[in-house]
Amino acid sequence: MPVDPEKEISKVHRALKGAQNEIGKTYYRWRQVALEFAGEGAKPLDVALRAAEIFGKDIGKSFLPRMNWLKGEEAFLMILARSLAGLWNTEGGLATVEKGENPGELLIRCALDPWPTWAKEYGAPMEEIALCRERMYQTILEDISLFMNVPLKIELQKAISRGQGETVMKLSKAE
Amino acid sequence: MAKTLFEWDYSDYPGAKTYPHLLKPIQIGNLMVPNRIKYAATEDNLNGHDGFVTDAGVEYMRQRAIGVVGGLCFMQGVYMDEKRQGQGYVGQAAAWDDKFIPGLKRIADAIHEQKAVAGYQLMDCGRVGAVEVDYCHGPSAVPQRLRIFKPVQEMTKDDIKVMVQQHVDAARRGIEAGFDIMEISGIVGYLISNFISSYTNRRTDAYGGDIRGRMRAVVEIIEGVKAVCGPDIPVGIRLCSEELLDDVRGNTPEESMETYKIAEEAGADYISCTLGWQESIYPVISRDIPMGNWIHLAKRAKEHVNIPIQMAYRLFKPDLPNEKIGAGELDIWEMCRSMIADPHMPKKVAEGREAEIRHCVACNLCLARLFRDAPMTCYINPVCAHEWQEEFANPKAAEEEKEVMIVGAGPAGLECAYMAARRGHEVHVYDKRDVIGGTLNEARHAPYGDDELYTCVEYQKVMCEQAGVTFHLGTEVTEDLIEEEMPDTVVLATGPVYSKIEAPGGASDKIVNLLDVMSGKAEVGETVVVYGNRKPGIGCALHLAKQGKKVTIVGKEKTAGFDVNPSFKWRYMIYMRQNGITAYNDCDIEEITDEGIVVKSYDGVRWPVQCDTIVISDRGPNESLKKAVQSEGIELFVIGDALIPRNLSSAVHDGYRVGMRL
Repeated sequence: MPVDPEKEISKVHRALKGAQNEIGKTYYRWRQVALEFAGEGAKPLDVALRAAEIFGKDIGKSFLPRMNWLKGEEAFLMILARSLAGLWNTEGGLATVEKGENPGELLIRCALDPWPTWAKEYGAPMEEIALCRERMYQTILEDISLFMNVPLKIELQKAISRGQGETVMKLSKAE
Repeated sequence: MAKTLFEWDYSDYPGAKTYPHLLKPIQIGNLMVPNRIKYAATEDNLNGHDGFVTDAGVEYMRQRAIGVVGGLCFMQGVYMDEKRQGQGYVGQAAAWDDKFIPGLKRIADAIHEQKAVAGYQLMDCGRVGAVEVDYCHGPSAVPQRLRIFKPVQEMTKDDIKVMVQQHVDAARRGIEAGFDIMEISGIVGYLISNFISSYTNRRTDAYGGDIRGRMRAVVEIIEGVKAVCGPDIPVGIRLCSEELLDDVRGNTPEESMETYKIAEEAGADYISCTLGWQESIYPVISRDIPMGNWIHLAKRAKEHVNIPIQMAYRLFKPDLPNEKIGAGELDIWEMCRSMIADPHMPKKVAEGREAEIRHCVACNLCLARLFRDAPMTCYINPVCAHEWQEEFANPKAAEEEKEVMIVGAGPAGLECAYMAARRGHEVHVYDKRDVIGGTLNEARHAPYGDDELYTCVEYQKVMCEQAGVTFHLGTEVTEDLIEEEMPDTVVLATGPVYSKIEAPGGASDKIVNLLDVMSGKAEVGETVVVYGNRKPGIGCALHLAKQGKKVTIVGKEKTAGFDVNPSFKWRYMIYMRQNGITAYNDCDIEEITDEGIVVKSYDGVRWPVQCDTIVISDRGPNESLKKAVQSEGIELFVIGDALIPRNLSSAVHDGYRVGMRL
């Protein structure tokens, strides 16, 4: 039985998109659970930001085995930025890395982000997406900064969820 | 005048002529050690989870004490804090209270009974510790690279003072237990090395900063332990000569050599030269690293200090240590894994019985077990950690002598053969090949050190000869032969049956057998699919990739090499990447076409892979002859890959266990 490449690739692609879609849906279902348990007094943004920290801490740990200074600071930062972009892409985003205006600055630019769509579907505020992404990446960097003894920072510059057309985050060494 | 504990005269030992430098005395501090042989402290997880010494631990050490023929025999490192932050292994011995002294004394006594020098090691496991508690401790709270280790709590200055005192107190307990020489462990990521390394010590107080600051805690420990040991008990330290942590900004080799000088200044009587951390990304001791690869580091160490330098690390055979000691580039030959595999290894060297050595195959199963909280075991030595069980270590003679037919002269059959013969049975080993060794004859051709696996067969051959086993090579056992011989017992060690591809095109002439490929009998095209993703398939794939072929592995297991222990598997994964080998796991061959194959994943996705040749490495149990033996009413055992295809270790262990049961 000959292989029909179009059929096989589309099958795998459908499965990937389905799995990515479940990432968002599962997150918002659990967000709902967390808010119910947190009670009426809890601020949804606080709960979401705490979740971002927990995600970031765990993802940061998973990055550590691959951290490598052998090729120097510039290469280290580029690999790190690509890993952060790759994380976004795994969720269904379309993120790339480019050099920033100043030496040592890298921009993670996301042109397509599924999170605003999911947030809308589950009635979550758009601003929460932007702030959670920033908090999650900041938390990822905490352990990496400590591990490599290099203070790092990441700042949100633009966000799709703020209607700015793309999301841009700047990664650099902290002063 | 240096103190001599036991008199040894090696003048009648053949090894003294072959390896004259190994059996020369050496002075360490004020202690005269009769030879240059050392069993280095090695964790074994054989003690109680409360830190008390057990019978298993004592007998394990007794056998190693026999092995060093009067040399240095070190027990495993003890942890020293009641909070157990320094405990790195569930079965690690403790010394945080005087209540542990009687148990420790049992080990010292067992070593002394063999007229060997009893060594005691202090080991706080630092950032790789806290195996039973939630937090380990260290100079700085640097996050763990590997998730299996616990989060690190930064030690305060008071914590450091307590820790130094714990070393001193534990040393005093060791002395009271009767040990003759003291060692501080500062290696592979344990606490001392955490203080020394720029990677894990970020302190800005007196215990951090430059290399002298980072060595301050170590100096305090050495001075404290020296004070309690007095002039007659030497104090040594194990220190990294290279951390191999460049990727995380660890110490430079120059800084490491500075630590050697500082340790000497602080009063250390010797240094055990080590390298690498558990977190290092470089391999250090696995089979793919050539023997003697690191010995130059001992020479470099000797150029920096005047105290004796000891070293292990892929020195499994006596010639190189003998040569280097003679050249003044090393002082003492240390052994860990080679004496796990054969506790009497150096004794056999000294007695001129090298052919009787069961050599370590550097698989690192022993380490893999320790990190998974399991008692020590050895891939190649079935008696390891069973030394205390008399029926296991020294099986009794058989009550009834039997005529035993062993079918297959591979490692399972040979192991069974000598054990059964040694117990008094009349043993005949048959093999259709005209050589012994079974499929190891082919497996040894895999790259990255697999030729060392064959040392197992060489050992078994000598054991069989000594035990009086009769070989019938080039003789295929048939039902008629069994009927004709009518032995009392048949042991089927025939090896596996290689799988057939149950798919359209399965009779294709592209298909060849793994054994024919490894032995060079089969013609193999430029693009190859290896069917089967266990160790034999990986070995074959690497063998072919080294010949420049484009290799793809297709196998049903979830991961390639799932049957390889984790302490070695990571090496194979790297070599597969380096050699451009793609592995499709959790997959099967759905069809063989003119161009190649169609792979089908577990969830039904299909894709084509072009290939000229398909190598079958997937195996199943061998059922042949079972019915014939059973129908004759003959006692039957099936062992090794014939029972269930596994690995060399299972073959050896199966063979030994059945051999002692017959």
